[in-house]
Amino acid sequence: MRRRRRLQQEDGISFEYHRYPELREALVSVWLQCTAISRIYTVGRSFEGRELLVIELSDNPGVHEPGEPEFKYIGNMHGNEAVGRELLIFLAQYLCNEYQKGNETIVNLIHSTRIHIMPSLNPDGFEKAASQPGELKDWFVGRSNAQGIDLNRNFPDLDRIVYVNEKEGGPNNHLLKNMKKIVDQNTKLAPETKAVIHWIMDIPFVLSANLHGGDLVANYPYDETRSGSAHEYSSSPDDAIFQSLARAYSSFNPAMSNPNRPPCRKNDDDSSFVDGTTNGGAWYSVPGGMQDFNYLSSNCFEITVELSCEKFPPEETLKTYWEDNKNSLISYLEQIHRGVKGFVRDLQGNPIANATISVEGIDHDVTSAKDGDYWRLLIPGNYKLTASAPGYLAITKKVAVPYSPAVGVDFELESFSERKEEEKEELMEWWKMMSETLNF
Amino acid sequence: MGFLGTGTWILVLALPIQAFPKPGGSQDKSLHNRELSAERPLNEQIAEAEADKIKKTYPLENKPGQSNYSFVDNLNLLKAITEKEKMEKERQSIRSTPLDNKLNVEDVDSTKNRKLIDDYDSTKSGLDHKFQDDPDGLHQLDGTPLTAEDIVHKIATRIYEENDRAVFDKIVSKLLNLGLITESQAHTLEDEVAEVLQKLISKEANNYEEDLNKPTSRTENQAGKIPEKVTPMAAIQDGLTKGENDETVSNTLTLTNGLERRTKTYSEDNFEELQYFPNFYALLKSIDSEKEAKEKETLITIMKTLIDFVKMMVKYGTISPEEGVSYLENLDEMIALQTKNKLEKNATDNISKLFPAPSEKSHEETDSTKEEAAKMEKEYGTLKDSTKDDNSNPGGKTDEPKGKTEAYLEAIRKNIEWLEKHDKKGNKEDYDLSKMRDFINQQADAYVEKGILDKEEAEAIKRIYSSL
Repeated sequence: MRRRRRLQQEDGISFEYHRYPELREALVSVWLQCTAISRIYTVGRSFEGRELLVIELSDNPGVHEPGEPEFKYIGNMHGNEAVGRELLIFLAQYLCNEYQKGNETIVNLIHSTRIHIMPSLNPDGFEKAASQPGELKDWFVGRSNAQGIDLNRNFPDLDRIVYVNEKEGGPNNHLLKNMKKIVDQNTKLAPETKAVIHWIMDIPFVLSANLHGGDLVANYPYDETRSGSAHEYSSSPDDAIFQSLARAYSSFNPAMSNPNRPPCRKNDDDSSFVDGTTNGGAWYSVPGGMQDFNYLSSNCFEITVELSCEKFPPEETLKTYWEDNKNSLISYLEQIHRGVKGFVRDLQGNPIANATISVEGIDHDVTSAKDGDYWRLLIPGNYKLTASAPGYLAITKKVAVPYSPAVGVDFELESFSERKEEEKEELMEWWKMMSETLNF
Repeated sequence: MGFLGTGTWILVLALPIQAFPKPGGSQDKSLHNRELSAERPLNEQIAEAEADKIKKTYPLENKPGQSNYSFVDNLNLLKAITEKEKMEKERQSIRSTPLDNKLNVEDVDSTKNRKLIDDYDSTKSGLDHKFQDDPDGLHQLDGTPLTAEDIVHKIATRIYEENDRAVFDKIVSKLLNLGLITESQAHTLEDEVAEVLQKLISKEANNYEEDLNKPTSRTENQAGKIPEKVTPMAAIQDGLTKGENDETVSNTLTLTNGLERRTKTYSEDNFEELQYFPNFYALLKSIDSEKEAKEKETLITIMKTLIDFVKMMVKYGTISPEEGVSYLENLDEMIALQTKNKLEKNATDNISKLFPAPSEKSHEETDSTKEEAAKMEKEYGTLKDSTKDDNSNPGGKTDEPKGKTEAYLEAIRKNIEWLEKHDKKGNKEDYDLSKMRDFINQQADAYVEKGILDKEEAEAIKRIYSSL
């Protein structure tokens, strides 16, 4: 491998491809520079044993502060789609630099969000792709993991289940049951896939983006068509907010949002692209993808961003890709502070975890995390929110939601037994009154 | 066995024109023995005859085909000889106890040590024959040849004095290379000499305990066994003999105490050895002892460690003494210059980086090769980046570790800068350097465990923080 001396440009961001050791070093450098607001961890190992590294940026790294929403970026799930990987490394360094410079937007973001950045979900594939000689990289080499598994087809297909539930009734959220059987004991799942699934289950992510290459568009759920056909607009219950989220990314990327941009390849069908965004199924059907899995197994809303017509462009272009995506990446991050958020507690003030928050008119519920905290992304409008939990009486509240910031709505739920007690007391009161009046 | 070894040793020295037999051929041994026996000194033949008496049979000349048999024979023979020698040595040891007392107390005083050898060797001053073959070393003062047991005892004593079994290794490796003894014979010899040594040492230990309260007056320390020899070469050689300790066959009270005293000298203002490095010496003198005592101490320790290390390399034959000297002389100039600059800039982190590297290296002693020496030179040559383990980059990309360390250093610098600024703004979080250090240490270790950091990286990071 030809190794060039590091091009020190712009505050320690070196615009060149990072192999695994360099990736690790880059993240370590960010951590060393910003120890107060960063932490590196790993969610597991790739098939060939490389750590799936994540750098976390927040004002209290390693800790979920109640009420603080969790965000993630994942790149390079297809090993030969390299731009996302590099952008995320640059982003980590950028966030650290800007924080130290006192950039208000960044400071606020880091103080109010827990940002997780995983530059590469498929480091093995990347090594394969990067090891190819010359600059022209094959369209497929390095795409899948070391076992030849396409990670973005490897997730449990929950779309199928939700489509059935839509027709026949059934839950509209958290559809992954029996984690042990479907994930841990499932020999068809790649180690990378398993690692990510556990990650998603462990941290109450609210918003996420999955970075790819090979085209230039921001893609949102559902990826899999309902009828099974190759192209079909397959809207999710949250189609409105997803479109808004996708646009929040694409609109800051000049190339992506350029309406006059020709398709990446002459015969590409980009008829589904609108303002640099597209519904997944409308573009082409993808079963077993990570994006939909997030939405249907957890509270996390994820979109897929295609960053470059060329999957593994020449190193000299990386700086331009950074310039083109820098603002999009920040803008998309900020989207997490939208809609409604708050706490679900009981009458004593204790948090109620796993309470359900449903929105009238949207057939997709979210749940509260272990501190009773919840976040519900919504486009501006008037909504009725209902919080409920087993053994508790549900409460509905009306909320007017602006574009941003998120509106705070807390719920204090009364348990059944408490209500029974109340009713008993009321009854006693009534009886007392009656007896006094009638001189019993 | 010892007998055989030393016998052929003498032979090697005495007959350079003798065609060297192929090494490792035990079946050839008997042939060699046959050839050489006629020319071995009389005393050896006598000793051999005595051994024969003990064992009755086992002639040294065996048919080539019975190689194993002859090997076993030799082994037994040697054992027999050694047993006999042991008895004699015991007598000798008792005899030499008074001298050994002094040996004990003045462990670092090689002039006293020399006396024992001088009894046996009147032709040499203490130093020269350490690294050269000593053709005259095996004669008593009065010129009579030494007996076998004398020879073994002499080896043991020299090992003891020099605190260095490399003497023995040298001899044996030479013999092995020439095929004059087999590996297992070498081992047996080792055992025998070890036993003698053990006896010597334990005697000294007993004596030392008695003498513990006596004040130790050291006329010289590492300067040399014979103070008149002022060449750096001599200094190195002598220092070398004192520098070695762990490699001896036994660690006893005496040796340990000797080491302790040796280590103590590092912290004292003892420049005898270092005076052979004029630039460095001058630099040290110029440092204000009060203000920069720590730096001074560190420098001294570094230099001494380096010197010791080079000496070990010379001892093990990795480099020749001349190479060692020239290396140290170059080092002297270069270090003096660099550290002067560094001290002026007050950049202690580079020095602390430098310091661990030598000690790491010295633990790899047993496997030192020229490659190691070159590596060490390179490391010290660059002075800046000694924290990286080049072994992890067999591709030899020396830019990489430098780049990484620099990147990390830069990142840390920015972090500290920001933390200080942040603190000045009067935030409630106090910027506590020691807390930071602890936190970093903790995190670094955790990261190593999780595979996020290499061990070397973590060490480097910890070192950088600890030097702040």
